[in-house]
Amino acid sequence: MENVLSILFSLSLFYVSVTSRVKGYVAVLRFQGLILSVLVLLPFLKNFSIFGIILPITLLLVKVILIPSYINKIILDLDIKRVIEPTIQQIVFLLLVIATMIVIFISSSVIAQSTELNVIPFASGFSAIAIGIYIIIFRKKLIVHVCGFLVLENGIFLFGTAVASELPMMIELGVLLDVFVVVFLMGIALNKIRSTFEGFEVTDLGRLKD
Amino acid sequence: MDILQGIISVLIILGFAPLFIGLVNKQKAKLTGRIGAPILQPYYELQRLFKKETINANTSSFISRFSPLLNFVSLITAAAMLPVGFWKPLISFNGDIILFAYILGLSRFFQILAAMDIGSSFEGMGAAREATFALFAEPIFFFTIGSISFISGYTSLFDIYHSIQLDNISYEVFIVICSISVFMLAVTECSRMPVDDPNTHLELTMIHEVMILDNSGLDLFLYQYSSYIKLFIYTILEISFFYPFSQQSYLVGILIFVFGSLVLSLALAVVETITSRYKMKNIPQYLLFATAIGILNLLIYTFTK
Amino acid sequence: MLGFSVLILLPLLTALFCYLIKNLRVQYSISVFVGFLHLTLTFIVFLGLYHIQLPTFFSFDSLSKLFLLILSNVYFWVVLVSNTYLKRHVTSKAQEGKKYYFLLLNFYLASNSAAMLSDHFGMYWVTVEMTTLSVAPLIYYYRNEEALEAMWKYLFVVSVGIAFAFIGILFLTLSANGTSLQGKQLFFWEFIRSAKELNPIWLKASFIFIFVGLSTKIGIAPMHSGDIDATSNAPSPIAALMSGSLRLTALIGVMRIFEIIIPTSSYEFARTILIIGGLLSLFTAFVFMFKVNNYKRMLAYSSVEHLGLITLGIATGGIAFVGAMYHAIYNAITKIVLFLSAGNIHSKFKTREVEKVKNVMNILPKTGWLFLLAFLAISGIPPFGIFFSEIKIFEGIFFLDNPLLLAFVMIFLLFIFINMGKIFFMMLYKKEENETTTTQFEGFDIIHLVSILLLIILVAIAVSSPDVIYQNILNVAKDFGITLK
Repeated sequence: MENVLSILFSLSLFYVSVTSRVKGYVAVLRFQGLILSVLVLLPFLKNFSIFGIILPITLLLVKVILIPSYINKIILDLDIKRVIEPTIQQIVFLLLVIATMIVIFISSSVIAQSTELNVIPFASGFSAIAIGIYIIIFRKKLIVHVCGFLVLENGIFLFGTAVASELPMMIELGVLLDVFVVVFLMGIALNKIRSTFEGFEVTDLGRLKD
Repeated sequence: MDILQGIISVLIILGFAPLFIGLVNKQKAKLTGRIGAPILQPYYELQRLFKKETINANTSSFISRFSPLLNFVSLITAAAMLPVGFWKPLISFNGDIILFAYILGLSRFFQILAAMDIGSSFEGMGAAREATFALFAEPIFFFTIGSISFISGYTSLFDIYHSIQLDNISYEVFIVICSISVFMLAVTECSRMPVDDPNTHLELTMIHEVMILDNSGLDLFLYQYSSYIKLFIYTILEISFFYPFSQQSYLVGILIFVFGSLVLSLALAVVETITSRYKMKNIPQYLLFATAIGILNLLIYTFTK
Repeated sequence: MLGFSVLILLPLLTALFCYLIKNLRVQYSISVFVGFLHLTLTFIVFLGLYHIQLPTFFSFDSLSKLFLLILSNVYFWVVLVSNTYLKRHVTSKAQEGKKYYFLLLNFYLASNSAAMLSDHFGMYWVTVEMTTLSVAPLIYYYRNEEALEAMWKYLFVVSVGIAFAFIGILFLTLSANGTSLQGKQLFFWEFIRSAKELNPIWLKASFIFIFVGLSTKIGIAPMHSGDIDATSNAPSPIAALMSGSLRLTALIGVMRIFEIIIPTSSYEFARTILIIGGLLSLFTAFVFMFKVNNYKRMLAYSSVEHLGLITLGIATGGIAFVGAMYHAIYNAITKIVLFLSAGNIHSKFKTREVEKVKNVMNILPKTGWLFLLAFLAISGIPPFGIFFSEIKIFEGIFFLDNPLLLAFVMIFLLFIFINMGKIFFMMLYKKEENETTTTQFEGFDIIHLVSILLLIILVAIAVSSPDVIYQNILNVAKDFGITLK
């Protein structure tokens, strides 16, 4: 079941690399959040406990509801143009993504021969990390950078489930809270950037140089 | 017995292909709030075209004359290789997926040749576009069907489909993923909506339609009919994923066939209603997306066994 | 529980209090009080007079004792002078934001103390991210375009960097696969105890990810850009706080993973990477000192230089490690004086460009002298402490049997000194033509007092070299497997 969810996660990565709408990014974030929540919920279906349900619910709340709605709100409030404005052609980007994923999958399967890990979630998570970085590098809009950062975070989360590291729940919640506050602060910063710079692109941020 | 079943399969494909198109068009009309042509309209169209005289351009050579027929024949051959329901198709041997792909390629090749043969720059443009997008569409077929062939270990369409077990959950997900990319392939190959609009006659946007603009009568009949068959072939390719081959019964087979066709026609209609045509420069990335899905399938299966 | 409440809970509560009470004076007094309490307790703990019990995920060891003292010290002085800064005139937009200043400062203290004291990698990660969150809005204090851009870049670069550190932490889990640590929690001490069992490949990967990720926050080249922008555009107290303590908070994470790696076979590898990082930082500072024309940026590059030196010292080991620990103390104290004086100059001249600042010695005589002294201190002129710590680091590098490395370090430091000196003397002494040389009067305020006190402390520590500090540093070195002859 974990494999199935990870494959769906990878599919969403492909979608995020072809879509040219900011809305598409937000939808993908929602979708990924949902997948992660289900992934965390799975172990608790077997031995149910009230305590264990807190993490999936918080995850659902933060990653599926709060963060995407907040980004949507920013887009609406700031009247950001709905296209992402890539710096390279989408098809080149997609080719890059495919090449990266091939490399990651092959190397993960090689790694899995010596280490005990879940290959598919591992490779999907790692791909998400790489693609998050690509999004940050190859897109001009700052709001898309935020989405790229979140894709990266989701990748790390999936990756964490793959290496079967069980952090204490308090820390998992702390991580979630941190991510949410980062996005919140970035949203506020975007708000200010709009009133100061009249633009939302990286090229607008070029004042600080030596 | 096998031969009889195979012949019946081909006849089913030939017979129902126009009906499927009619179904799609009718549903699309309903979704956009029109009454729409009757479902049987494609049959009337074919009948009308059949009666008309064939005129070829003065500049055209023998290619224009035999390419429609060749087109039609190769599609019938392709249809003969496709399993309908649980039946073994007429032509089935190890490695027939390659033949299947290239028979379809052959028909496209001659269609492109014929379009250039006519001598109008207009058709030439369409031919160029068709060739370009075919370049991107071909990997989709090979990566998707190829990955399933990898998984099952068979190289014949019939065997591949028979090896699918629906009780394995991860198998199911792969089937769903594969059917997404096959759907995208079908949309491209049959020049349906996000890639090409079958209804417009606007020179800037046409891909497929423009190639047969100068054909008439019997030639056009053959072209049209083969394009109907093509769409239906891809439909069956998609429906075949969902047959429960472990329990074979006619009732289940027929039910899935009918239900699958209905669902797919609805899906096509919905997609055509809610999406607009892509810009010409965005089409390759759309196709590459489908290829990427196929590659993902292949990767997952090859490296996780 | 008392220690935990004073060190972490009390600042958190104060932050909440600052949110409720809008009066700046009240906020200031209570923040100073909390800072003082924090400093006192840390000092007592450092002296070993009182032993604190901390809840799970937190514990004291020699390293966290030392770094917590540095943090607490920097924080106290910064809070003490904050009120003067808040009184200075700023745009009306920035006036709005002042009410969050102490709130964020207290939150910073709480999260930073928690990060220093945490003995669990997950907890450490969470709290370090929190320090970023608390500092980012403070960078935007002036509410202008540069500050905004600096804040955005800092927030983004550091968040991505820290995400990378998290990947490194996950790799660490992988490295424990098949050992007695498998399935256990990520406590530092557990990993250190059975470090030899860990899988070397994953350990190396983990080290690289954690080091590269955290170096966005430490400010080690080549990941220093966000940090430089932030330090140079933040108000001076915040810049001092970042240079003096925030960078060390990130450094402590690198040191923890390095501590795990020391007994293993990957030691040489990790050490090489640290040396490369340190040397690259020195090189970056060396290059940019030639062209920098913004004095706060210059100070930020100086931070990059000194953190690079500390990293180099840690990597070298032996006596250099001791030097690096001393260097962390001296650098933190000197940076406060430097940034506070720079802040005075900024508020007088309203510019950060070196060319437009002239004749500080006559216009702001007291600040000018302090600025000069602090410059001498940061450049390693005796009797200021940095001289002694640098000597120790050089000695360690010298015994590394790699004379070329020492030569490079010396050359870089020399040119950094020359270029910094040029900038300092231009600012301090260069006059407009036909300008009067009469010395103007400059009021004596708390900033000057604090600066003088800090310089005295600096010299006092260096000259008397208290045994407490030395013993503590020796204990840290022992934890790192370093024994001094």
